[in-house]
Amino acid sequence: MGYFEGFAVTLKKWGEGVTTKEYRGGRTDRKGHISDKDQKSPKPERLHGRHVLNRYEDGMEKCIGCELCAGVCPARCIYVRGKDNPADEPKSPGERYGFVYEINYLRCIHCDLCVEACPTEAITETKLFEFSFTNRSDAIYTKDELLVGDDGRPQNLPWEDWREGDDRDTSGWMRATSPSGRASYLGTPSWSGELGYGVRSGDLAQTAKDASSTERSSHDDDDDEHGGHH
Amino acid sequence: MTATENPESPAPEAEPGVPFTLNGSELTAKAGELLIDAAQRHGVHIPHFCYHPRMTPVGMCRMCLVEVDTGRGPALQPSCMLSVTPNMKVNTESEPTTRAQDGVLELLLINHPLDCPVCDKGGECPLQDNAYAFGPGESRFVEEKRHYEKPIPISDLVLLDRERCILCDRCTRFASEVAGDPLIHFIDRGAQTQVNTFPEHEFSSYFSGNTVQICPVGALTAQPYRFAARPWDLAEVESTSMVDSTGARVAVQSSQDRLVRIQGVDSDATNWGWLSDKERFAYEATDSTERLTQPLMRNDAGELVSTRWNGAIKRAVAALTDAADPRRIGVLGGARLTLESQYAWAKLLKGLGAVDNIDAQLGDGLPADIVLGLPRATIAEACEPGGVVVLLGADPKEELPTLYLRLRHAVQFDGVALIEMSPRATSFGDSVAARLNPLPGAVGHLAAALAEGMVGTSIGGIAPAQLSTAHRLLGSGRPVTVIVGRGNLAESPEIVVSALAALRRANPDVRFLSALRRGNVHGALEMGLTPGFLPGGQGLDVELPGWEMAPQSRGLDATGILKSAVNGTLDTLVLLGADPLEDFADGTLAAAAFERLGTVISVDTFMTASTSAADVILPAAMFGEADGTFMNLEGRLSPVRAKVTAPGQGRPDWMIATDMAAAAGGDLGFTTLHDVRAEIAARVPGFADIDWASDLGAEDGPLVRPLRTWTVSLSETAPIPPADDYGLRLVVDRKLWDNGTMVTESGSLRPLIGDAVLGLSPADFSRLGLSSGDDVDVTIAGGETHTVAAVSDNRLPVGAAHIPFALNSVRAQSFLSAGEPVIELRVRPS
Repeated sequence: MGYFEGFAVTLKKWGEGVTTKEYRGGRTDRKGHISDKDQKSPKPERLHGRHVLNRYEDGMEKCIGCELCAGVCPARCIYVRGKDNPADEPKSPGERYGFVYEINYLRCIHCDLCVEACPTEAITETKLFEFSFTNRSDAIYTKDELLVGDDGRPQNLPWEDWREGDDRDTSGWMRATSPSGRASYLGTPSWSGELGYGVRSGDLAQTAKDASSTERSSHDDDDDEHGGHH
Repeated sequence: MTATENPESPAPEAEPGVPFTLNGSELTAKAGELLIDAAQRHGVHIPHFCYHPRMTPVGMCRMCLVEVDTGRGPALQPSCMLSVTPNMKVNTESEPTTRAQDGVLELLLINHPLDCPVCDKGGECPLQDNAYAFGPGESRFVEEKRHYEKPIPISDLVLLDRERCILCDRCTRFASEVAGDPLIHFIDRGAQTQVNTFPEHEFSSYFSGNTVQICPVGALTAQPYRFAARPWDLAEVESTSMVDSTGARVAVQSSQDRLVRIQGVDSDATNWGWLSDKERFAYEATDSTERLTQPLMRNDAGELVSTRWNGAIKRAVAALTDAADPRRIGVLGGARLTLESQYAWAKLLKGLGAVDNIDAQLGDGLPADIVLGLPRATIAEACEPGGVVVLLGADPKEELPTLYLRLRHAVQFDGVALIEMSPRATSFGDSVAARLNPLPGAVGHLAAALAEGMVGTSIGGIAPAQLSTAHRLLGSGRPVTVIVGRGNLAESPEIVVSALAALRRANPDVRFLSALRRGNVHGALEMGLTPGFLPGGQGLDVELPGWEMAPQSRGLDATGILKSAVNGTLDTLVLLGADPLEDFADGTLAAAAFERLGTVISVDTFMTASTSAADVILPAAMFGEADGTFMNLEGRLSPVRAKVTAPGQGRPDWMIATDMAAAAGGDLGFTTLHDVRAEIAARVPGFADIDWASDLGAEDGPLVRPLRTWTVSLSETAPIPPADDYGLRLVVDRKLWDNGTMVTESGSLRPLIGDAVLGLSPADFSRLGLSSGDDVDVTIAGGETHTVAAVSDNRLPVGAAHIPFALNSVRAQSFLSAGEPVIELRVRPS
């Protein structure tokens, strides 16, 4: 892009006005205006907000305490410890459950790698990012705070600014990728049932058209030489 | 973890090499070397599951198939079953090889569940790693996998998940070949094959934890580590186990400043990667709620109250200086400490305080002159193929389990002949060459008879055939090693010494390997925590710079210290991690001594029985919390490293010693661990050439060979008590799971401590008309009567009665009296 084209973008945007929304208590409110502008801008469907820990339809926790989220976290903000499931009152299906689960939002960069690493879809992200805690202990969300309620909705903590519909699309989306990393792989992602809110279908890694364009013809030949094991 | 994966197999270096071709490169293998080892040594890793360098290859898993051409055309062969032959052509990257690897992994993953996220092995799993590195990526298998009940406990410490098992035969081979406890095995056939225990018999092996470490999948997991951490949040240092004196190399792993796991590290000199369950799981004690976390002092009302270090140190120093005469001070313990701490305390007490009533052994050891003065053998020399080993001590499986594994390997595979002279038959069973189990008190005569060749007639019930075999082996010219310990706490050490003297007379070239079991006891003796010696076995007449106040005359041993306390000639006692009330052989004497003692100062890690009777308690850092050095029973040095912080205000023992010196107005002359090491190198013969930084990091650690040219003169005359009408003689020895603090403070190990029962030889048992478990009244000669359950014990010679030390329900301590040559007893049915 040339020199003047760059300026042209700036000039074009100049006239479009401000896209940021005003909230109650914000700048306009302090100036004495009536804040009819107390609204948030619509968020993209895949926005990464704060996390929730999901539960199955029967109320069991999805988290198995495997620490893969903590292991993959580039900001080292997740602390998980697993434990043997109590036989008389299991917290999750299987042998193991997460008995400590903490996310430090002073560190979290909302990269969503934890969501991708999670083998049970236990951790997903809401669209919520307006949470203005005033001390460190509020910033560290514990398992009790992250876990969805009995209705499947995230808990609205006192320092969080929740609006109607903010908890929609809480359950995440998942790309269906090949276990061996093959670009041509087309899987069918699906979500296991969970406490009835915000469930939606998963995304394919790419459309069939994308897949055929990225596929190298040599790839298939290689595979055939190896005995066509896919 | 690849902790046990030591690719270097002990093949002879001098052999001419075998030329072969590996992936196009011309290389040389050692004679007889397995292809998988040769490739690893040349930097080519061949994936495998069942192969383990310390066990016989079986070729079960087929993962190590590689394309080999020995002149008859290329073919896939298992590289773990194939020795390299001249001009062999090997290709580990060819298309047939990778196809085979794909196929094997796809087959193994047909039934292996993909529950890696909840599996303790996930993240350090050879199956996971190999599936990523060599696997096909996707499976064609869409059917339901095989299902079994999820983990079933096969012992108190090990859980088995049969779904995950890939039938590699590692655990079962370990159990039968290495440990000699063949309690797990393959059952059923074909696709239903599974590993399991025999019905009604759990996998109760002292070595069960090794199967968890060598399992290439998560089929075997350890109860203490279950879900405690994931591999990627473990931090690790290499250290040395201080649980017993073998000095096994270990990897100490922590997470969140808590010890969570100990893994064996393959050291050619000591443990070969194996650990006993005590060495592996006793780390739990570091996290015990009974740990001492702050200095405590007894107030005027007689209660223990927490105080500050300053006050506690001042009070302790005041108690020691108030004693006026150093002969009124006694010191017990020191085997828990690192070498540096032992030197610091020895210098404080002997060099500055002129105290010589110091004993690191609690009446269960041998005189320091013997341990320091006899020509030492290493474990490797004792296990040398074709040698002869005389076992003059307790069952090593109970006291020194990792040494037992080495000896067992030597006996089973290397043609070492074992002459068993222990008071009770050991776990070597029928693999011993000659079984001579003398009655308590008779071992000296037995050894003398062997030395003189008087083997034609039975001695004390031992058959002439066994005697002549032993005599022949001792005189056969094969190298002889005597493993010497205290096999019987109810027999005085002089009797053992007289046997040593006779054995040495029979073969002057005999070497000795001490089997004293307590942690760093050999370091303690070397550093002078024993009466009559300065560090390095130097006599009290040697003048060491900085040790100006060193005592002039030899002090008392543990028994002497406690006896002096009873008769009032000693009133101040310092405990360096010792618990004489529970741990001293003569429990009655220890209790009487504590009644009379004036001041007791305890430097300890736990609130033991003796510590709770102390007036000043100083909390120390324990294993895993302090840096230092360990000296094992060969005299080999190896590092002990800190991984976690000590709880509360606990500090390394040597720092406490320097503070005590400063409070007394003196100066030990060191402020860092480095200083202590430099001073040891300067003052102690044998340590001068030790490079602490590099030598200790070496795989095997340096041996401190005694520079002394003197050897002890051994007395062959030991008191031989005549048999009286009491009829039975007592054998008291130790079990691995006893009421020692490391076991009682480890939650997973405490339930393993059994009840003490009185064992009688089958002949005596039936003579008394008993049936198993019957209560009997045991009367000690000149002592009291106890009621104990009795069982028939076919390991005992006729005329002996056996009871283990420090187990539950019966206190064997109360059966013993220090100083008696043997203990006689009478048994009557209750």
